[in-house]
Amino acid sequence: MEAVQYGDRKVYSVAAFNRGIAEWLSRLPSVWVEGEVTELRRQERWASVFFTLKDPSDGACLSVSMPRRQFDALRLDLVDGERAHVYGRPELFETRGDFRFRALSVERFGLGDHLAALERLKRKLAAEGLFERARPLPRFPRRIGLITGNDAAAKRDVLTAITTRFPPARLVVAETYVQGPRAASAIIEAIAALCGIEDVDVIVLARGGGSFEDLLPFSDERLVRAVAGCRVPIVSAVGHEQDTPLTDLAADARASTPSVAARLVVPDADELRERLEQSRGRLHRAPLLTVERKRARLDAAHGRLRALAPTATLERGYAIVRSGGRIVRGSEEVAPGTTVDVELGRGGFGARVEDLRE
Amino acid sequence: MTFEDAQKELEQIVHKLETGQADLDDAIRLWERGEELYRLCVGRLESAQGTIETLNPAEPA
Repeated sequence: MEAVQYGDRKVYSVAAFNRGIAEWLSRLPSVWVEGEVTELRRQERWASVFFTLKDPSDGACLSVSMPRRQFDALRLDLVDGERAHVYGRPELFETRGDFRFRALSVERFGLGDHLAALERLKRKLAAEGLFERARPLPRFPRRIGLITGNDAAAKRDVLTAITTRFPPARLVVAETYVQGPRAASAIIEAIAALCGIEDVDVIVLARGGGSFEDLLPFSDERLVRAVAGCRVPIVSAVGHEQDTPLTDLAADARASTPSVAARLVVPDADELRERLEQSRGRLHRAPLLTVERKRARLDAAHGRLRALAPTATLERGYAIVRSGGRIVRGSEEVAPGTTVDVELGRGGFGARVEDLRE
Repeated sequence: MTFEDAQKELEQIVHKLETGQADLDDAIRLWERGEELYRLCVGRLESAQGTIETLNPAEPA
């Protein structure tokens, strides 16, 4: 770019400046841009058609031009408000210094196309096994990461649900965009940031409900992959269940309300307390139980021992007959005239055998 | 020791004592350990103050 030097000041002519910018722009690569077609202007005597591509999320505009013959050959019959993908590169219209996007191709991209594209992506990711992740959630996460938009109500709902159920819960909140074109990358960064905290054991992605458009970032392939590849399990917490963005499928668990999310990531403190008190009560009774059980066993053994002792039998009227110190069990062990010793329950006596019976 | 581990051990001790798997000397020792675990768990529940920090992720490019 030639400039005229006025002392230490370098000055360009408008034409030179525009040419320089145009040249610089021409080195940029061709890309696809998506937006709504508005203000379509086409006239037979013009060499080009013009339209404005509008970003439906924030109204950003881009002037587009396309050679009329190429445009006509596409036979698109585009009308204002239709969604399109435009392939082209930036260009400066030198004589006027107007910046434009020079379209090389235009494709209609309606809701149907959108759904079809999502469906293709879904099949592709499913084939990779990205939607089969359902890792167990920690019962006692040391810290819980929460990714939420700056919507105060949604954030409060999740925080309240978690801290009510489990007051000692420790949370790290990452506020980020959850809608619009920057949402996907912002959420990916938030996931990475939370994963970088050593004791974060689970992440809740509170995305809220919304229109098909609002939820688009949650079907962004990069985000879906980031969720599936996350170091810790991710719970996708949503307002509505009718749409299922791909992120939900890649998450380890889904929660339809903040309280369901809370139930998934923290234990119920009241239940824990009750269980502890129960354990303690049983613990206190248990040693007694041990002593009683041992006492009962001892008593039972003692009872059996007593039942087996000969004295008890003698007390019931039986007698023990001994001959020469040995117990006489049958009549063949003695003969008439043998002296025997008879032991009774109380006392005893000596006797002589008179006659024998078989 | 985590809350979860402490609670699990406490419940194992209770079971052991209730089913009479421990002899009398062990029972006393287990009882003391159980009491200690109970206090640890309750302490964790009652004293631990929940925290909510806010992370400021780098501004998206």
